[in-house]
Amino acid sequence: MRPQIILRYLGLILLFNAFFLLISTLVSAATGGGAFFSLLFSTVVSVLFGLFPLVFVPPSDDITNREGLYIVVCCWLLSCLAGALPFVLWGGEFTFTNAWFESVSGYTTTGASILTSVEALPPGLLFWRAATHWMGGVGIIIFVLAILPAMGGAYLVLYRNEMSTLAQESLQYRTRKTLKILLYVYIGLTFMETLLLIAEGMGPLDAVAHAFATIATGGFSTKNTSIAYYSSPVIEITVIAFMFLSAVNFGLLFQCVTGHPGDLLKSPVFRYYTASLVIGVILVAVNLHGSIYPGWIDAWRHAAFQVIAQGTSTGFASADSAVWPPFAQLVIIFLMIQGGCAGSTSGGMKADRLILFWKVVRRRMVKLRHPKAVVVIRAGQSVVDDDVAETVLTFILLYLLVLFVSTLAITLFGVDLLTAFSGTTAAMGGVGPGFGTVGSMANYGHMPGAVKWILTLDMLVGRLEIFGLILFFTITRWK
Amino acid sequence: MNLRFKILSGFLILAVMLFAAGLVSIAELNRIRYSVRGLLEENYISIVAARDMRDALEEQHSGILMLALKDREDGWQSLEKAHGDFQQAFARARENITLPGERESVDAVETAYLLFRASWSNFEAGSRGRDKKLLYLEEVYPSLQNVTTAVNHLMTLNGNALHDTAVGLQNQAGRTIMPGIVAIIAAIVFTLVFNFFINLYVIAPIRRLTRAVTSHVRDGEPMIIRTESRDEISRLAEAIQELVLYGGPKNSRKSS
Repeated sequence: MRPQIILRYLGLILLFNAFFLLISTLVSAATGGGAFFSLLFSTVVSVLFGLFPLVFVPPSDDITNREGLYIVVCCWLLSCLAGALPFVLWGGEFTFTNAWFESVSGYTTTGASILTSVEALPPGLLFWRAATHWMGGVGIIIFVLAILPAMGGAYLVLYRNEMSTLAQESLQYRTRKTLKILLYVYIGLTFMETLLLIAEGMGPLDAVAHAFATIATGGFSTKNTSIAYYSSPVIEITVIAFMFLSAVNFGLLFQCVTGHPGDLLKSPVFRYYTASLVIGVILVAVNLHGSIYPGWIDAWRHAAFQVIAQGTSTGFASADSAVWPPFAQLVIIFLMIQGGCAGSTSGGMKADRLILFWKVVRRRMVKLRHPKAVVVIRAGQSVVDDDVAETVLTFILLYLLVLFVSTLAITLFGVDLLTAFSGTTAAMGGVGPGFGTVGSMANYGHMPGAVKWILTLDMLVGRLEIFGLILFFTITRWK
Repeated sequence: MNLRFKILSGFLILAVMLFAAGLVSIAELNRIRYSVRGLLEENYISIVAARDMRDALEEQHSGILMLALKDREDGWQSLEKAHGDFQQAFARARENITLPGERESVDAVETAYLLFRASWSNFEAGSRGRDKKLLYLEEVYPSLQNVTTAVNHLMTLNGNALHDTAVGLQNQAGRTIMPGIVAIIAAIVFTLVFNFFINLYVIAPIRRLTRAVTSHVRDGEPMIIRTESRDEISRLAEAIQELVLYGGPKNSRKSS
């Protein structure tokens, strides 16, 4: 392994971060609020550290799988560290642990916050917080590869580690083209939502921050009460629509807008994902009617918003779902574990894997009745081989295992079971708010420091789809 | 890129980072200076003025009680002196309006004080032939309470601002220290990375070059020197290779 190559890529990532830090610095200079020097110093440090490896290390196209994996994992960790810098320098509620939590939550597009008052942050830092979502959402690696030409074969190796195998298959494009598609869809959606939110009465900075958080399925808001602050059904509908779209496979969305709208409806993953959210909304709305909201309109409105916000792993809030009945909470927890579609920015296990899981279960049932039957599993038109099916089952098992172990570890620190379990689910699934004391109108600030570190690890494990992090710590020789 | 530039860039980056850390710390220290000035000039002066006004009001109250006890001379003396003190303190508060809502608070003090003044003038004159005790309980004392409340409000307003500024100062102190800490950690990490690059791109090629020359001289092995970058070391390697190949100056070789 060549550490210098890894350092070169880390330098590129730092420069990419520095670009957004510079924009945040300019926002701070224009709006005031006191974070100017924190952001400026962070920009300077990131630029200097980013430039240095580029001066020494010549570009290289051929990187090995192992180097690719190290680059991906180190880039996430370094970005999170660089992202924490402005928070640490600014101070206030940000101790190092809190700053690290906020930064990891931003880059992994989780959206869980430690802040008791978001509105106390200066505009420059609010923009930076939203920018960490946007950068994390697109996948820092993918973005840098897409905008930096002349890397040739390096694309594929990095991409394999960044996106799940399922996402690569369903996109049906070669890597370079896929990266472009992701970018077009991502930027296009961000622009559209920003313009719509401004037209609906949101301030420009708030609109950009909320669009960043929505398209990345993050959930950081610029207001203490999240979207509930605006108390505007029009804004809620817009945000619902974009949260839903952001959790759909971007390749399908691209095909849809480039003249193949039928592909979207033909996709079994999209149909399953949509149906699960619709059923979730119906179940929760019926449960809320009478028990929490006397009228049907409020029950539908808040059920739709919360189910889609948490089911797509975004995590915005229009109401305090922590006080909702246990049935509604469990429906939402199931959707939080499920997540959106592969090939999107959403978290969770991904709907694609659950479909395959149900197909494997069905095949086992058929085989129990007809032991000699040959039953193949299909994903769309293609046959899924047993290796992929086994990987999916292993992934689901590991996901649940990590969920259980983390919950267990968190309860050790005196946190109640609902808070521990929903908090871990929200962290691993990239959702943000859970239930109990970490509900949609609460925050993670009161959690013990060790719990915050466990949750940040969960966020990274979820974002790197478990296998990435396991391989990072276990492989010694891998060509 | 040549080696001189690479090494120079390393030191330059280190210098820029330390300079930036120093600059940010100086800027934050400067902000602390302004905050302290604000603390002293803006809030503390108003708080002291409010306290003096309250003392003056207490003295006026004593004067009124003396008047009630028929001690007119001492009573008037005390009232006039306290009135002068109050006016001085009030003038200071009026000249030092710095907070949002402070002007309204100062105006409220003025209005309440004018009513209080009117009430003790009436009290002394025993106006409308009313009982002095009743006059004191119904007019003088309530109006005195009103002025005290208005002065207390002004004091609280400035006290809260003083507290907020002090909390802000605590944060600013942290912001002054943090760039230094970050710069120290960054400098250590940077030094390690710099050292790694120097080893990889300077020391290691020189060692390879030395080994190749030694092997060639001792064992007559062919001179094959591999360099990754185009810099002074790669040019030195080429020069040595040329020297080994041709064994002397090209011109003398041609002439012979």
